[in-house]
Amino acid sequence: MADKEPCLIGSQITIKGQISGNQDLVIEGRVEGRVTLQNKLTVEETGVLEADIEVVEATLKGEVRGDVIASRAAVLHPSARVVGNIRAARVVIEDGANFQGTIEMEVELPAGLKADGR
Amino acid sequence: MMAKQEKEKTMANTVIGSSIVIDGEISGEESLTVLGTVKGKISVGQGLIVESGATVEANIESQSLSISGRVTGNVVARERVEVRADGKMVGDIKAPRIVIADGASFKGNVDMDV
Repeated sequence: MADKEPCLIGSQITIKGQISGNQDLVIEGRVEGRVTLQNKLTVEETGVLEADIEVVEATLKGEVRGDVIASRAAVLHPSARVVGNIRAARVVIEDGANFQGTIEMEVELPAGLKADGR
Repeated sequence: MMAKQEKEKTMANTVIGSSIVIDGEISGEESLTVLGTVKGKISVGQGLIVESGATVEANIESQSLSISGRVTGNVVARERVEVRADGKMVGDIKAPRIVIADGASFKGNVDMDV
């Protein structure tokens, strides 16, 4: 709630290196390196990531080459083109999405939390 | 109040939020606003705004640069560099037009002979 101002990497921007932080990030441009967030990452249609990603939630609509670790969910939208491995509690691949790699879903429910069916 | 209005007006396309840290190189052809931390190198084709509270430890190349936060590094701007009243800068500046506002802190070399 504290930091909800948008963080956007525009379509004409290239970042080489490491991005980390704890706020939502939207990437329309190009990132090479590594992205580590305690929040949600959105890669828009124009976005290109050549990076390993470690986030809570990943919404992928663009191009991603690298390993994706999402502690909550990774969603590949129809426009997504992803090459790499995905490890997430929930993985969604929508019709039309292009994916190559392995998927590992870890179903780790804390004690006392009810599994919400399937 | 004035600063707030200006801040909204100058919100650029790309925004590095206040709790984001980038370690590496940022380049591109659009304007950039930094509220968080950037270490490394920044090279943008348009304006760069380092907002109050932001920390930039990088060599910077841009069209124009406005500093309200803290910048450490050398700056080359094709048009204009402004160190605002709440800005703190350590490094060399090379630009045809340079403004250092009353209250700003600056240490480094100034070269307007571009």
